[in-house]
Amino acid sequence: MDNIIIEASGLTKVFPGNIRAVDDISFSVKEGEIFGFLGPNGAGKSTTISMLTTLISPTNGHATVAGMDISKNPYKVRLAIGYVSQDLAVDDALTGYANLRLQAGFYHLPKSEVSNRINEVLNMVELQDRSKDKVETYSGGMRKRLDIACGLIHRPKLLFLDEPTLGLDIQTRREIWKYINHLREETGMTIFLTTHYMDEADSLCDRIAIIDMGKIKTLDTPANLKSSLGNELIEFQFSANDTDKINAAIGIINKLDFVKSVSDVGSRGYIASVNNGEASIPLLFEALKENPVKISKILFKQPSLDDVFLHYTGREMREAGGGKENAARNRIMMRRARK
Amino acid sequence: MKMNLLLSDIYWVYWREIKKFVQQRARIIMAFVQPIVWLVLMGNMMAGLTRNPMAAKMLGTGSYIDFMTPGVMIMTSLFGGVMGGTSIIWDRRFGFLNKMLSAPIYRASIPLGKLLAIGTQIMLQALIIVVIALILGVHFKTGIPGIICLLLLSAVFGMIMAGISLSLGAVIKSMESLFAITNFLTMPLMFTSNAMFPISAMPGWLRVIAGLNPLTYATGTMRTIATQGWIWDSIWPGVLFLFIMIIITTSIAIRMFHRSIS
Repeated sequence: MDNIIIEASGLTKVFPGNIRAVDDISFSVKEGEIFGFLGPNGAGKSTTISMLTTLISPTNGHATVAGMDISKNPYKVRLAIGYVSQDLAVDDALTGYANLRLQAGFYHLPKSEVSNRINEVLNMVELQDRSKDKVETYSGGMRKRLDIACGLIHRPKLLFLDEPTLGLDIQTRREIWKYINHLREETGMTIFLTTHYMDEADSLCDRIAIIDMGKIKTLDTPANLKSSLGNELIEFQFSANDTDKINAAIGIINKLDFVKSVSDVGSRGYIASVNNGEASIPLLFEALKENPVKISKILFKQPSLDDVFLHYTGREMREAGGGKENAARNRIMMRRARK
Repeated sequence: MKMNLLLSDIYWVYWREIKKFVQQRARIIMAFVQPIVWLVLMGNMMAGLTRNPMAAKMLGTGSYIDFMTPGVMIMTSLFGGVMGGTSIIWDRRFGFLNKMLSAPIYRASIPLGKLLAIGTQIMLQALIIVVIALILGVHFKTGIPGIICLLLLSAVFGMIMAGISLSLGAVIKSMESLFAITNFLTMPLMFTSNAMFPISAMPGWLRVIAGLNPLTYATGTMRTIATQGWIWDSIWPGVLFLFIMIIITTSIAIRMFHRSIS
């Protein structure tokens, strides 16, 4: 039996203006795992983290973090967790060492232990030789590492990382991943992270919850999520703008025995989940002989988390949050997040 | 035990602010330059005034620069204090506020630590003004004990202003709006007080406004200490007023801060 370190049930946050940022979500996180919340901007990831880290209180539902109720015992929760926000919240005007000293002070670490702890976390993120320099001279990746180090100073059981690689270039992102993996190996710490990068969730997380519009759409290991779609996909696009014909064709495709499901990706494009590999393509054309519709593009691919996301939310990640209503929603959420 | 934790939290918030302050060379340099400009320039410009015996009587001293010094101290604490709210807006903007709030610290320690840091900075600036004033030949009637009182009163007045500024900063959350409001407040506060000009030389209507202006209480008290001596009848009302004010503004700042984060 695994130990549960986060247990959320019916967690809901409604912001003024009746924005349901997080809508009745329930999940549990096991001790020692890296658990990821994957979703587009404005999906409710940061709001969930803010509730779990006691920065805001839920409108409804409850959660226990490290065995303590977030509403009844916020002080104890704060002692047990580390939180690294998406803001790169290190003080530019101070040195790396001073930032860590300050954090040690906030966590009331005994004086005799402070310099040991600071060295320990500096080692972990490999910043020892820059600790005496002001943070304003650090690169983006170094700041993030220092920020993570700040979250580790009190050896928390559980670390919250909100969008740990937001705004970093690809090499730096890989470097941060390395530190996160390393951290888990060394300390066995539980890590709860949010991200809107598929590759990040894929390479770091033991389990992923896909969240969209404030709801958890699905939750499983990356491998299970991908295999749940079937092993292969065929992506195709019709060239004619004839809705009747297209619908008829989709009807036929849906009935084929090797097709598990078909989802609409917009602009007359569709993705079919199939189970007989590349042979599906000629079979598909065969089936459409009776009802000819021009196809402008067709390709075969293995599923990725992108496809999982699409499958469960009905839209692609990069399009997610489009539309006027969503834009307004995102604006409000961003303002919330920023304040 | 709980008290210890609160004091420790206040200390670390304070530590951060002070550490940042001493690293800002431009601010330290300006703390020297500003009083020199005020005292030398204004003192010289107005020096002729005291040759008129009538004016000298109104100023309560034979030297304008003696009259001016407590005014410059109080203006420095006014300007320093009203900027106090910016730090909380800044912390909110770049996420440091959330970082502090996710740590197990007393919420009230954030405004309190910031206020104390502003008080300390203002006291340091006031000390610089005193040193420059002494070099320029200003005479402090009550000597060193008087100077210590002046420094403390400057700090208290600055913290009153900072309390107001922090309350505004907690609520309005935008740097530009805070500047607009504090600019709107500081100039009229200054010109309707006795910081630069004796009340007895003001027209009647301005005298009424000056009588309601907290700046007048602070300056009047400090000026009495600096130029007249320990005249308790004119010192204690001002001191009492300032202490009541600082309790009120600090409580409001803590309350507003709490409200802005819940």
